[in-house]
Amino acid sequence: MKTRREFHKLAVAAAAGLAAPAILGRKAFAQDKPIRVGASVSLTGPLASTKNGLIGYELWRDDVNAAGGLLGRKVELVIYDDQSSAANVPAIYSKLVDVDACDVLFSPYGANLSAPVMPFIKQRDLFMIGMFGLAGNDVAKHDKFFHSGPWGPNSGRDWARGFFDLAKAQGVAKIAIINADLEFSKNAAKGGAEVAKEYGMEVVFNQSYPPNTSDFSSIIRNINAADPDAIFIASYPADSTAIIRGVKEIGISDKVKLFGGAMIGPQYGALLGSLGPELNGLVNSHTFVPEPTMQTPAIKGFFDRYTPIAVKQGVEPLGFYIPPFYYVAGELAAAAIKGSNSVDPAKMAEFLHANTVDTIAGKIAFNEIGDWKERRVLMVQLRGIEGNDLEQFRSPGRQVILDPPSLKTGDLAAPYNKARTS
Amino acid sequence: MSRNSALFLIGVAVVVALGFLMPWVLKNPFYFFAGYVVLQYVTIATGWNILGGYAGYINFGAAGFFGAGVYLSAFLFTTFGLPLPLCILAAAVFGAILGVLMGYLTLRIQGVYFAIATLGLVVVLETIVHNISALGGASGMAVYGPRPPSWSPGPSQYNFTVMLVIAAVSVALARFVEISWIGRGLRAVRASEDAAECSGVPTLRLKLLACALSGAVLAAAGAPYPFYTSFVEPVTAFSLIIGLNAIAMPLIGGTKSWAGPVLGALLLASVQQIATVTISSELNILFVGLVLIAFVAFAPGGIADLFGRRQGRARS
Repeated sequence: MKTRREFHKLAVAAAAGLAAPAILGRKAFAQDKPIRVGASVSLTGPLASTKNGLIGYELWRDDVNAAGGLLGRKVELVIYDDQSSAANVPAIYSKLVDVDACDVLFSPYGANLSAPVMPFIKQRDLFMIGMFGLAGNDVAKHDKFFHSGPWGPNSGRDWARGFFDLAKAQGVAKIAIINADLEFSKNAAKGGAEVAKEYGMEVVFNQSYPPNTSDFSSIIRNINAADPDAIFIASYPADSTAIIRGVKEIGISDKVKLFGGAMIGPQYGALLGSLGPELNGLVNSHTFVPEPTMQTPAIKGFFDRYTPIAVKQGVEPLGFYIPPFYYVAGELAAAAIKGSNSVDPAKMAEFLHANTVDTIAGKIAFNEIGDWKERRVLMVQLRGIEGNDLEQFRSPGRQVILDPPSLKTGDLAAPYNKARTS
Repeated sequence: MSRNSALFLIGVAVVVALGFLMPWVLKNPFYFFAGYVVLQYVTIATGWNILGGYAGYINFGAAGFFGAGVYLSAFLFTTFGLPLPLCILAAAVFGAILGVLMGYLTLRIQGVYFAIATLGLVVVLETIVHNISALGGASGMAVYGPRPPSWSPGPSQYNFTVMLVIAAVSVALARFVEISWIGRGLRAVRASEDAAECSGVPTLRLKLLACALSGAVLAAAGAPYPFYTSFVEPVTAFSLIIGLNAIAMPLIGGTKSWAGPVLGALLLASVQQIATVTISSELNILFVGLVLIAFVAFAPGGIADLFGRRQGRARS
């Protein structure tokens, strides 16, 4: 039998639990009806490492508001945490649109979280900036969707084409492909195999591995046995580390000219710091590096403000990969609102389709389904890394741009073994 | 039919009728998006409780059954264009078969070993889906659902009503199991399996039946999910969160009767939905933890038990 006291304790605990969301979540409503920009960000869950993008949104909002807002109205961000789960996305975006009455939407991070929202925005004819979803609009073909990421047209297949362009220039005839059995890397490997075929290269080894693989010795030995001229790897951070360490231990053929391609991890401070010189020679994709062809005062100013906030929040201190493009998303929305002098989705979309927008990441023009007209995924080679100090990655020359040619800051150092040990 | 059963059925019919009318009264689609998730968890908690509550076999594999329902329904719809009710029915049958298979393999082991074995089911199914290209593998599968029928104002409202019907049928099924000979047998299994066996209770057959019914309800809960998100991918469909909620909700509500999981799911899922759009989800998870600890510490029988006891005391 429960005593009255126990029942009261339970009632208090349960009431506190139930009431807290309502109390803590109360929002102040501004009187001058700000322009509302809604987004879900993965603050928790497996994709929580992408939450540093939120700093990009917030810096943009502060800048816009400091400059007097848009159309004379302040900008307000409405952000919810999707917990890295696609299951939460439909309700969150319905809340953003139907309850919060947001004027502009930013998509969740990546293809798998963005996919659930595409039918919704198409059906409701809403304006959205996409955040890093590869080929995010290729199925829905919504005319009011624009990518902030530099994937370019036909990105499902072509985003890593730069690696194969470099391989072709090096006369690579035989290529090996390995990938983690997960969404991004599987797509990268599939696209890579198609491009390799198009360039007349023979895929001598093509294998996927389960996501939690930590020992790559047998895979590396099998690759060596297949004797390729280049190795295209699509991996996630933990396996990227394991593969680099495995190569150091087992070694790789001197014939291999290019090694890397679509490894997630070496873009982030955590992995750059932990692997340090072991990354020398790696050719890998990136979205921004502080090389002279990319380092403008605007983006330098962005990082000067980003870094102290990131350090304080304990998130990725370099922030080259994601945060600038979250700021770019804001700039695109601002350009559309200012350019069309409205928050009407059709007018905003019409403006972005017709005009080139100047952003901290350079000039951006869009095709009919909102891809950047020009792919601007970088292929960088890591070089001259000494020790594990992260600050060295803020200087030019550590992540040399090999592709695209318009941003190139150096030539490929090959073969991989030589570049690795030099 | 007893008076209680008649009252129960009338209650269910009223709730379902209100659910059909609500989309025409409440215009904001958000409430139907959020309501769908709450009803989905009512179904999941109810399904889990048939095996976990009545028979006392803690099943960590709820996400496996749910995900199987999700994928079967998505596959049948995109490949053969099967209508949603048939997809749900097929998912339920598949879930029942999966339940019997899992039961045969795992019911010989009990307690924590059974729990671990059921967790394995989720990993196995997720790995299988990852490697079947017809199901989209790791990249997932876009499912553009059918247009909602004319009696429903929009897709979110239609999904909500469909889920309401599934939840109502599941709760009615759980209540039938509870008050029938099956429930009596399962309670005997939970109290002492050996004693039940010695008294002539066909324990294995009953447990297999419970596995099948539980699996069918869990898989049916997953069947409309592809139409809710328009996209399925294995990590979310087989998410551990589903398995944890499936256990937490009946524990908070009470595992001994059909009302427990319903109350637990309504309470917890509503809090989660409100918290997701009001405060950060770290705090959301903290609140779930707090509520769970409060119930385990002060009311191990759950809300239903608490009400029952207070009512009993008032009468005495």
